[in-house]
Amino acid sequence: MTPAPTAPDGLGTLAGKAFAAYRDGERERLSELVDLVTPVLWNAARSQGANPATCEDAVQTAFLQLVDRAESINEPAAVLGWLVVVVKREVWRLARGARREIGVEEVPEAPTQSLGPEAQAVLSERQSVLWKHVSTLSPRCQELLRVIAFADRPDYAAIAESLGMPVGSIGPTRGRCLQKLRTTLGTDPGWAAT
Amino acid sequence: MNSHKDAIDDLDMAALRQLRELFAHADPVPSDLTERIKFELTVQALHAEVAELMDSALLATRGTKVEPTPTESVTFNAASVSLMVTVNASDLEGRVRVDGYVTTPGATVEAVSTDGSTLVDTDANGRFVLDDLPHGPIHFVIRVDPDDENARPVITPTIQV
Repeated sequence: MTPAPTAPDGLGTLAGKAFAAYRDGERERLSELVDLVTPVLWNAARSQGANPATCEDAVQTAFLQLVDRAESINEPAAVLGWLVVVVKREVWRLARGARREIGVEEVPEAPTQSLGPEAQAVLSERQSVLWKHVSTLSPRCQELLRVIAFADRPDYAAIAESLGMPVGSIGPTRGRCLQKLRTTLGTDPGWAAT
Repeated sequence: MNSHKDAIDDLDMAALRQLRELFAHADPVPSDLTERIKFELTVQALHAEVAELMDSALLATRGTKVEPTPTESVTFNAASVSLMVTVNASDLEGRVRVDGYVTTPGATVEAVSTDGSTLVDTDANGRFVLDDLPHGPIHFVIRVDPDDENARPVITPTIQV
């Protein structure tokens, strides 16, 4: 007998279950899906550098598209990744003024993550130290780490893939982005001390 | 030494947790975003007509009597029907009472709150009472002809009660 898995379900699994139940007629489970995945989608949208209003529209549009196409989605379990792909594409489409539809492969890379002066002012001392180190990473790594930070460990690989990162970028192994963050934090006495 | 080929460990998880707190703090999800998304999904699912919120004025309390909760009256207009609701404290502790009036008698009104959904029939004058609603966001779905499954329901924007 293989022991029953004890690890709790990751966000992606919970989202997949809620979406599958919704498709099977439990219409109220859609609210649960919205509550579960909106933080990840918001951060996926904001990490593209678009303004808040554009990001809100992109997240909302992704859910409306999901419901429109619910029956044609092949893998309900992979709904989180599907939504991340659509949100990222929508942000870029809206940011370009919706001049044309663009395919996933045409989505440009995310810019360096930025926080406005007001946002930086509300950071704790430790968060400021972390922000300083995160800022030294490549834009791709910043985007990846920002988005997976809002998911659970079992979801990292799938989310990395939906962001267009190569397989093996993260999960189950640490990957280069997380390794770089670890290394740069490790060199900072101010980080280790607290 | 550790490398990028190692499994993710507790130190990595701690750093990611801090990163999550950083962004949740500095660039939070707008507080009403999920409610607005759910509303749009409902409108889409029902193929509903969205009523317009016409006014939201605090009604003056009569005389010098001070009421524990201000009475607020709100009107929603759609092409086929209008709905007026007045929000009061309920006789039930901590609950909200809504007195409503729909311009089409016989319509049904569904109140969708954080408790779920409550359906009520309007009387011959179009009036209805719901006296056991929770505080918080609420919206209404009005069906002018409840027997006609093809009729478009009317949905109101969400208000706070």
